[in-house]
Amino acid sequence: MIVTTGAPRRRPSTTTRRRRVSGGVPRGMGWGIALSLLPGTALVATFFLIPLGVVVATSFSHWDVVGASYTGLTNYRDLLSDSVFWHAARNTLIYAAAGIFLQIPLAIFVALILSRRPFGWRLFRTILFVPVVISGAAYALIFANFYNASYGPLNRIVESIGLGGHDWLFEVNTALLAVAGTYVFNIGFFMILVMAEITALPVAVSEAAVVDGASSLQRDLYVTIPLLRHVIGTCVLLSLLSSLSFFDIVYILTSGGPADATVSLTVYAFREYASGRWGYANAIGTVIVLVGFVLIVTTRRAFRLGSRAT
Amino acid sequence: MISSRHRVFPALATFARYGALLVLVLAALGPTLWVVVSSFKNQSQILAPHGSVLPNPGTLHGYRDVFVEVHLDRYLLNSFIYSVGGTLGAMVAGLLAAYPTARLQFPFRHAFTIVFSLALAIPIIGLIVPEFFIMRDLGLLDTRIGLVIFYGAMFFPLSFVIQRAFLASLPYEIEEAAIMDGAGYFTILGRIIVPLARPGLVTVGVLVFIFIWNEFFFAQLLTISIDNFNIQLALAQFVSTFERNDTGALAGATLAMTVPIAAFLLLQRYVVAGLTSGSSR
Repeated sequence: MIVTTGAPRRRPSTTTRRRRVSGGVPRGMGWGIALSLLPGTALVATFFLIPLGVVVATSFSHWDVVGASYTGLTNYRDLLSDSVFWHAARNTLIYAAAGIFLQIPLAIFVALILSRRPFGWRLFRTILFVPVVISGAAYALIFANFYNASYGPLNRIVESIGLGGHDWLFEVNTALLAVAGTYVFNIGFFMILVMAEITALPVAVSEAAVVDGASSLQRDLYVTIPLLRHVIGTCVLLSLLSSLSFFDIVYILTSGGPADATVSLTVYAFREYASGRWGYANAIGTVIVLVGFVLIVTTRRAFRLGSRAT
Repeated sequence: MISSRHRVFPALATFARYGALLVLVLAALGPTLWVVVSSFKNQSQILAPHGSVLPNPGTLHGYRDVFVEVHLDRYLLNSFIYSVGGTLGAMVAGLLAAYPTARLQFPFRHAFTIVFSLALAIPIIGLIVPEFFIMRDLGLLDTRIGLVIFYGAMFFPLSFVIQRAFLASLPYEIEEAAIMDGAGYFTILGRIIVPLARPGLVTVGVLVFIFIWNEFFFAQLLTISIDNFNIQLALAQFVSTFERNDTGALAGATLAMTVPIAAFLLLQRYVVAGLTSGSSR
């Protein structure tokens, strides 16, 4: 679930600090440096660059157990008219929207409360972060029980207030919501990011607002939140990227069902891979990688995330 | 947020604030707590549609089942091997690549930095098919060492970015004298940099350990025999194919969660620092 991106934000002014060795490689260190870069280079080449090349190249081919043959844009043309693909894309967007419109606002709300340092704020921060380190598989198991139609607590709660129970994960109308419900309250990660940013805000701005007679609500809405633009942008980006890679919970709980109601792009790609349509799976993979890159670039631009980095 | 204008009702404002926090804590952790509590029930207590929330009487039946019948110790051990091995790999490879790119001048320094950092932006999950075939052709498919190497690679970019940022923040003068004295590259790295790099190493270590412990997708893709399953694959089996064993499932989930939660609580400062510095870029 957790995704991290990009290059360091605070970068020391390297040119001035390194002027003394700017003449070139320090004497006698060339081999050491080369040797030192070898493991990382080998790992990145083998498990990132070569696979990336293979995915893109073979996405233009029909590739299965029998062999691979170049078919040009056929896979992509098929994707355009593939209703399951569009369904998966729509679901992936809905998963992201649940993150952006529920999870992130809740996280900001809590971060604003805890940043005032009320009694016990550290405890609340720790407790609310705990779900972040719980695995997707454990979450799937937890919610398989939580949503269980016969003994799950959700139906008990719903029935106790006089509403009808559901088989939440296995009815077409409720499954997507039920899957999104597994993570929308998992706010700890975004909460931590926002709190770190609030701590870094200049106190003077908030004090000026107090002098001007702003209530704390007004301060939050008109002073603090606009200043949080960068970190909210980061949260939106991370939310989009994590729904783009969303797999464990969907795969374990529903495998994308019922009737593809919960299928995500990665679950669909995995399904195509598992049924041996490797070229087609790679076309979906290429879309995932491309969308990921475009997201990082455009979101950084929209929220001017890059302005502080090199 | 509660307005400070309601000074007449400060108690009410405090009450509302804590009320909101408690509701969110319950929403975030309620289902999890319910599973943890239920792991001390027996089968019929779990399946009773209107049974009590608390186990009555409490039992360790599930915990016995999960070791005796499901052999969860095997999957826990595998997860430890993958997490410790993969974390060490990512830490060492990350430090080795971060040191020269952060602090020394050499040709293509920026090219290495950019490629290693950009690898972090590749959704590796989109590369399923070639990852499978590369692992198979290297003879690493469905082996423990294969998964250790793969996880080392998967988390190398994160390790590199965090450690590079940390090393770049240290003052330049640190190894200057040693360089002037003509000390060898690995002497400087081992004697001077590694001791100073400890905070960065610990941050990477705890984060990557938790990520690998929780990893499901590539464990699913790259292991075939049940002997090589990690704990997450074992949990998924509970949802689908292990013989119906609800007490064992809940006990297993509780045990699987305990490890990363304990790591987080022990090294909270590093986890928080690593995540906030590693992602707000």
